[in-house]
Amino acid sequence: MLLMKNVQKSFRTELVETHALRDFNLQVKDGDFVSVTGPSGSGKTTFLNIAGLLETYTSGQYFLDGQDVSALTDRQRSRLRNEKIGFIFQSFNLIPDLNLYDNVDVPLRYRGFGTAERHQRITQSLERVGLANRMKHLPSQLSGGQQQRVAIARALAGEPRFLLADEPTGNLDSQMAQSVMALLKEINRQGTTIVMVTHDPELASQTARTVIVKDGRICSSDLPDPIPAVSNQ
Amino acid sequence: MSQLEIGPILRALLRNKVGALLIALQMAVTMTIIVNAVFIITERAALMQRESGLDEDNTFYLTSTGFGANFESRRVISEDLDLIRNTPGVVDAVQINAIPISGGGWSMSLTTEPGDDVEDVGTANYLVDDHALTTLNANLIAGEPFTASEVRWRARNQPDWPDTAIITRALANSLFPDTPWQETVGKTIYIGDDEPVIIKGIIEKLQAPWIGWENLEHAMLSPERMDTVSARYLIRTEPGDLNTMMATLEATLSDRYPDRIIRDVTTLTDTRERSYRHHSAMIKILSLVMVLLVVITAMGIVGLASFNVNRRRKQIGTRRALGASKAAIIRYFLLENWLISTAGIALGVILTVGLNMALIEWFSVRPLDWYYLPAGIIVFWIIGQLAALGPALKAAKVPPAVATRTI
Amino acid sequence: MFSYYLRLALQSLRRNPYLSSLMTLAIALGIGASMTTLTINYLMSSDPIPHKSKQLYYVQLDNWSPYSAAREPNDPPDQLTWRDATQLMSAAKAYRQSAMASSGAVIESGNPDIKPFLASLRLNFADFFPMFDAPFLYGNGWTSNDDDKRVPVIVLSKPINDRLFGGENSVGRYVTIENTQFRVTGVLDNWVLVPRFYDVTTDAFQSVEDVFIPFYFKQTLQLSNGGNTNCWKSPEGEGFEAFLQSECVNFQMWVELPTPADREEYFNYLNAYAEEQKALGRFPRPINNRLSDVMQWMENEKVVADDAQIMMWLAFLFLLVCLLNTVGLLLSKFSTRTSDIALRRAIGASRQAIFTQYILESALVGVLGGLFGLILANVGLIGIRSLYGDFISELATLDFTMISVAILLSILVSILAGSYPAWRACSVPPASQLKNQ
Repeated sequence: MLLMKNVQKSFRTELVETHALRDFNLQVKDGDFVSVTGPSGSGKTTFLNIAGLLETYTSGQYFLDGQDVSALTDRQRSRLRNEKIGFIFQSFNLIPDLNLYDNVDVPLRYRGFGTAERHQRITQSLERVGLANRMKHLPSQLSGGQQQRVAIARALAGEPRFLLADEPTGNLDSQMAQSVMALLKEINRQGTTIVMVTHDPELASQTARTVIVKDGRICSSDLPDPIPAVSNQ
Repeated sequence: MSQLEIGPILRALLRNKVGALLIALQMAVTMTIIVNAVFIITERAALMQRESGLDEDNTFYLTSTGFGANFESRRVISEDLDLIRNTPGVVDAVQINAIPISGGGWSMSLTTEPGDDVEDVGTANYLVDDHALTTLNANLIAGEPFTASEVRWRARNQPDWPDTAIITRALANSLFPDTPWQETVGKTIYIGDDEPVIIKGIIEKLQAPWIGWENLEHAMLSPERMDTVSARYLIRTEPGDLNTMMATLEATLSDRYPDRIIRDVTTLTDTRERSYRHHSAMIKILSLVMVLLVVITAMGIVGLASFNVNRRRKQIGTRRALGASKAAIIRYFLLENWLISTAGIALGVILTVGLNMALIEWFSVRPLDWYYLPAGIIVFWIIGQLAALGPALKAAKVPPAVATRTI
Repeated sequence: MFSYYLRLALQSLRRNPYLSSLMTLAIALGIGASMTTLTINYLMSSDPIPHKSKQLYYVQLDNWSPYSAAREPNDPPDQLTWRDATQLMSAAKAYRQSAMASSGAVIESGNPDIKPFLASLRLNFADFFPMFDAPFLYGNGWTSNDDDKRVPVIVLSKPINDRLFGGENSVGRYVTIENTQFRVTGVLDNWVLVPRFYDVTTDAFQSVEDVFIPFYFKQTLQLSNGGNTNCWKSPEGEGFEAFLQSECVNFQMWVELPTPADREEYFNYLNAYAEEQKALGRFPRPINNRLSDVMQWMENEKVVADDAQIMMWLAFLFLLVCLLNTVGLLLSKFSTRTSDIALRRAIGASRQAIFTQYILESALVGVLGGLFGLILANVGLIGIRSLYGDFISELATLDFTMISVAILLSILVSILAGSYPAWRACSVPPASQLKNQ
């Protein structure tokens, strides 16, 4: 479970204080497929970064699987990211100098798995996205859709509880986008919780739940506010 | 161990061969120069450490050259020596034909049997009188010193030699390799093929005038004064009195006879400095080259590595997002540098030996001692890691949120 | 268009000041080190008498011991005996010839204000002056007749003439050496020889001697031996004359032989002379005479010190490191600019235009580095001068040739360094970077 209470993120420059997120409250239950949508600059990506432990927040509370993440060291945060979270990025973020096998291998190395286990997981997850026969290829030899599939395979290889997707289809044409979307739905059906940030309402409508963010706040959620009132400590 | 990504790093490096190759080559050539330079420096420094045997800090010499028809060299030399020896502040003085380590002097061949087809041993010859041992700071370790009565006058171009000689231990060992040096006192040696000379004493140490000579430690003292218009006096002073004595004696000796010139008043320290100047110059130049080279190479590695970090910011952010801790990022860049360095060092070892072989072939350089190579390998590993540390730390500071930023 | 590229290059250099200065510094240091050592080697090995160096020959005869060569492996001694020098002179088989020796003596001027002083002497024959193009300020050298008749004549160097006669024309005046009055026949102008090739048996970078007198006065005045005296057996008998008649070598000899045929003929004469001496019981070794021209002789006597050559090769390796360094830095630098290049290509820049732009940037680094390197080379030469001290100052300066070499070398190095990175830059496809990222 992913739980944010009154999370606030502000950037302070010399002149102004900008609020990227304010009083952000959100609960994502295990097995959910939530899409977060909203106009550019609304704070979608900041939300995703905080949820994925890529950024810290200014105030409020965030529990990942019941654990308060605010006091964790860099090493603990990295560990948590590695074990519990899988990322999918808009521009895929595959490492251009590594072949598909080595790309999927990256998070598994940080996990510290043995050679045999890594090999098995890499093969399995590449099979799952249908690219097992192209393991030795470089990312540049693939189409955009295929690259995103590799990225998904990389995110899944460590069997994370949560999959965080940042505009996963933003760089793809609609046909490829649909096939990636279908893959995500399939993954969700098999039990992985997915939070997907997108500005595309059409895509957002395909998920079980949609959250709309505006000016750093949740302005509409198609479910009643799931968070029971809590007193701020 | 699975966190040490040697395999993937190597494969990624092979995709970016040129950059890595440049660093490796640079390290290889740098190592080649530096290991050979350090070797040459150490050799030269060892040469410069050798002692002449003299009390160099308190010894100087000067030359008196007479002219005109009325110049009586024997009288002048005897009176000069009396005057110098009786000057307070002077320990002792001799007339001498050549100055140790100065670059100019006499040498002769010695044999242990008469005849010109016998294996001979070269020696430097010093013509001195009975004050030689104190003046030259020579420690007599066997036999007897010269007595005043056995000192003779050698006329100009007189070719024969006195009957007795004092030689250095090194010369005794070379002449009689099978006899302990203590027992060579009293033995007869032959100078210039067939003229017999009896070894009267052995001194511990005295160097020849030529620092580059293989027989630098071979010296022979003969009891004689030279009857020549130009006479050189070697003077040893009390500690600390050198400068005063140089000025005093130059003035006194000049004033004493108008028909002579006192010249070349020189300390042994200056003589050593001049004789070893090209060695010390080589040491200084090579040291400077080494420092500059290490700086250039290190800055080059820092520059290249920094650029690599900048170029790979997105990749670093992605790795962080995928669970790499800061330590893992640092480890990644250090390991990458270590792999490149190791390739460069491996090539460097080959080039180092190659350059050394070329220097042996073309110049008189000795073969490198084996331990220079492992020492070089370790030093260059350290240099490489230190140079890569800064950029690696910079890489660790790349925030993971870079991964979601779209440029 | 050129000025546009130049402006782009300057802008680009200013954008990364750390990197630009690092590259410039690397090239400057490499050029500085190479030029310093190259200059030293160039001057040490320069031909001191270019128009004649192939016509002047140094004479060597092998009078050495039957048991060992004068120098390994089987080289004749580097000097001659008095007997051989004087006999070759009497035979006078060459177009010009001069045996010579160095010595020293006290000079008195007769003027009570000038204290007697010790001067370095060169003993030579009349041919010495025309043979080596000695420049005269006043008067001339002496004649062969003066040599043969042992007329006490003398040629003064300019500094000595300044010292003795206040720089006036002293031809016809007298100076005293060893109680003998020598008449001045000529005064030399400044004569700088680098190296002082006519006698390199001791230090090749000494200045020319203070005064010159006829060779036979060695015997007349019993002058002391300068330079090295080497004997393979002791003189037979006592006294100065015994030394002169001995097998001790202390004399040099040069001959001028205008054509190869002359050389051939003279060489045959030397061999015949050696045979003659063998018949007299001398020259126990196999005949081993040598005639070396100026540059061969410099090489033989190792006038260019080993150390100078080692340093030069190390400096070239240093330059190689700087070159690799610059290639690496340029490569990284250009690789961060792919989107800029792709954009330029997309809006119509040709491959060649991109290449020109980037190679110009490298060349600019080279020119800056070269100029800075020249300054460093000058500093380096000052340093060398202070470290070695005994080089005369003329040895360690940059001349026009060396400055041109430095500039060319630095441009060459930078273009060499820049061409691969520039080629990589210009092979960026036009549209690759426009799509995303």
